[in-house]
Amino acid sequence: MPGVFRLAGRRLAASLPVLFGAVVLTFLLMRVLPGDPAVFFASGPNAGPKEIAEVRHQMGLDKPIPVQLVLYLRDVATGNLGRSMTTGQPVVADLVERLPASLELTFSALAIALLLAVPLGIAAALRPHSLIDHAVRFLCTMGVCVPTFVSGLLLIYMFYFLLGLSPDPTGRLDVFATPPPTHTGFLLIDSLLAGDGDSFWAAANQLVLPAVTMALFVLAPLARMTRASMLAVLGSDYIRTARALGLSRPRIVLVYALRNALLPVLTIAGIVFSTMLGANVLVEKVFSWPGVAAYALDALLASDYAPVQGFVLLMAFIFVLVNLLVDVLYGVVDARASAT
Amino acid sequence: MIRLALPALRLATVLLCGSVALTSHANAQTRAETLRQVTGNTINTLDPTMPGSTREAFGLSMNVYDRLVTFERKPNGKGFIFDFSHLRGELAKSFDISPDGLKITFHLRPDATWQDGSPVTAEDVKWSLDRAVAAKSLGPPQMMTGSLTSPDQFSIVDPHTVLVTLPTPDRLALPNLATVYAIMINSKLARAHATPDDPWAQTWLKDHTAASGAYIIDTFKPGEQVILHRNDAWKGGKDGKLPFFKRIIAQTVPEAATRANLLQRGDADLSIDLQSSDVPEIEKAGKLKVISTPQFNAFTMVAFNMRVKPYDNLKVRQAIAAALPYEDMFKAAIFGRGAPLFGAKWTDMPPNGTFPQPLPEHTDLARAKTLLTEAGFPNGFDTTFSYSVSTAQINDPLAALLKESLAKIGIRVDIQKLPDAQFGTDVTAKKLGMFTDTSIAWMTSTDYFFRNFFTGDQRWNYSSWDNKDLETLAQTARFERDPAKYEQDARQLIKIAAADMPEAMLWQPSQDAVMVPSIEGYTYWYHRQVDFRDLSRK
Repeated sequence: MPGVFRLAGRRLAASLPVLFGAVVLTFLLMRVLPGDPAVFFASGPNAGPKEIAEVRHQMGLDKPIPVQLVLYLRDVATGNLGRSMTTGQPVVADLVERLPASLELTFSALAIALLLAVPLGIAAALRPHSLIDHAVRFLCTMGVCVPTFVSGLLLIYMFYFLLGLSPDPTGRLDVFATPPPTHTGFLLIDSLLAGDGDSFWAAANQLVLPAVTMALFVLAPLARMTRASMLAVLGSDYIRTARALGLSRPRIVLVYALRNALLPVLTIAGIVFSTMLGANVLVEKVFSWPGVAAYALDALLASDYAPVQGFVLLMAFIFVLVNLLVDVLYGVVDARASAT
Repeated sequence: MIRLALPALRLATVLLCGSVALTSHANAQTRAETLRQVTGNTINTLDPTMPGSTREAFGLSMNVYDRLVTFERKPNGKGFIFDFSHLRGELAKSFDISPDGLKITFHLRPDATWQDGSPVTAEDVKWSLDRAVAAKSLGPPQMMTGSLTSPDQFSIVDPHTVLVTLPTPDRLALPNLATVYAIMINSKLARAHATPDDPWAQTWLKDHTAASGAYIIDTFKPGEQVILHRNDAWKGGKDGKLPFFKRIIAQTVPEAATRANLLQRGDADLSIDLQSSDVPEIEKAGKLKVISTPQFNAFTMVAFNMRVKPYDNLKVRQAIAAALPYEDMFKAAIFGRGAPLFGAKWTDMPPNGTFPQPLPEHTDLARAKTLLTEAGFPNGFDTTFSYSVSTAQINDPLAALLKESLAKIGIRVDIQKLPDAQFGTDVTAKKLGMFTDTSIAWMTSTDYFFRNFFTGDQRWNYSSWDNKDLETLAQTARFERDPAKYEQDARQLIKIAAADMPEAMLWQPSQDAVMVPSIEGYTYWYHRQVDFRDLSRK
């Protein structure tokens, strides 16, 4: 076990240059983009050059870029990511408010995707080139082909508009409901902590459609990877040996084959998770989900530097953490990996 | 490592420790007494004078803060429109204007209270007015248009009377006090949160209110939702009446299709920003009420930047104005939902001094070709036509038609769709040659339109028009107290604009307010937002 901590410590230290690079690069990129935020935000009906200069001064944009960068790095080091002009709030407060929403959605989507993809992948691998295999391939292709905003809108149209089964697709909780007291920011957990079954049910209901929309999109990499790696494992010598020894089929597939086949799936799941968290902006937009990706996009369109920079830093940090977690899990699944 | 990890640590700490619960104020109110508005945009501040305030933040402030005075409204079609020429007291019970027009006396309501229960005093009003003209905010440049520039102009006569003194009898002084920025603030409360660096409590008022208005903020989540409940002690209503709705939910729903779904299912009550292409269909289906109001304080135009060649040439501008396919653009871009500003029959002098009004612009390709040859471009020229990405839905078809039509007289157009921030920057830097946008004025005085949109070096003078006669005339008109003479000046201003063609006027787009049939009293306001105080459910 101490090995795990040493590994974690070493990996975190090694990721520092990456985080630093992400901060500096985003900072510079935002400044290279055309569009002057001061002009954008001073666009009141009578804002003249004087008001624009005032906004520029307030935003600190009248200083030379190297000075701005040093000031920004100092702020970041003290945990201050600046203030968003689009929401008027400090970026840290916005991210704190919105990150749980994104995480809750992404975790749920990943859980749904894994619960679907792994059995489908196994089924396809057990009968390669059969009808089942083709059906799984078809489902995966459809999932990837249909963009999330299309599948999202279709699901809304069907389950909310036509059938009326889903609650209205606006945010994490019915607007007329009282949210449970905030502890973790995860509504499912908070409502359970408060012992509020109604809230839990309401939050879960709101979550289903967006989570399914996202899960459909990432079904393909997970199912395909499960199938490929399962096929490789099922053809290996030790499985033949196990079969020859007369072990039951479920035991061979689920215990001996699956455990080894899961390694690449785990890697892909880590990547899929990080990608979903940053790239689920369309789902967040379609379902009015108050998450971080939609927040960053709004800020980007408004040339609002601070939130975009904060968002990239947060994503880089999460990416580092997820990769670390995957590596640690690797060790749990495969003893050989923990030695390296 | 520790230094860089701090923001995340802080995130984690806050996540774990949690914050206080957001309990909504009054769940007892029924759904019928609750209004749910859905919008694609964000309310980003509670202080409308903050630079960067969104239009939705302006709308919210009308419901939360009182002004000294407010515009009346008048019936128009199925709804109402604001009446710029009639004002009534809001926080003030009444007001008198001295015969020379230099002194406006406001008599405050003796029984008016702030939302924290303390009485409204003349001292509060004086502080609020001072703030509007002195704080570094959106306030001063707007107040200036009504000759309100210095705190010295506001004095306390007695605890319930405030006097505003003007250097000149400015027709826009009183209307300016009814606009978004002239909010009345509980000065004792605000001052308690002021700092030496921030004497006007601008930081605190971004997320807090010190108001006396009809609604009180329950929840303020920028980018998600704002929930309000009615202030039952409000005195500023017309004839002292309270608004109908006890609870308001203003929710941000970014996807227009979802907003339409919510309305059609009856889960939301009102939206003013559905996709314009969806509205005709919704109207035809007949299940929802649609109130379309041409935005009579706005105009969409094709602007020619006179600082960029060849648009400094009058004949080039006239040639393009004669080549634009007005009718086709009107139908393709806004589905004919609006009021045309082209095709007027008059030639020399407009029939009246109202602006914007239709100008004598007609599609006439032969005339356009002749003008272009006379301008020295018999073979046309290459140019660009720009607009912002957020307006693409309307301007894509418009630009395509413009390109096609100008090609017929030899002008080759390259269409540039620019990100909003870049478009704004380029317009301000006067870099774009020909482009389209919509200008909106809060005050519908002709001289105000001309001073804001056709003079000076600022962003909104899109064509960088520099005409000394026009400038003088607009300033004269501003202080003209004789209505007949003012009308004459206004007509003269419009005549100059029609002759000089700084911008080819296109139309006034409609604002389509879509609501469930039970909602009544919808009013189109100069700030183009919903005033919840007007609405009721039958």
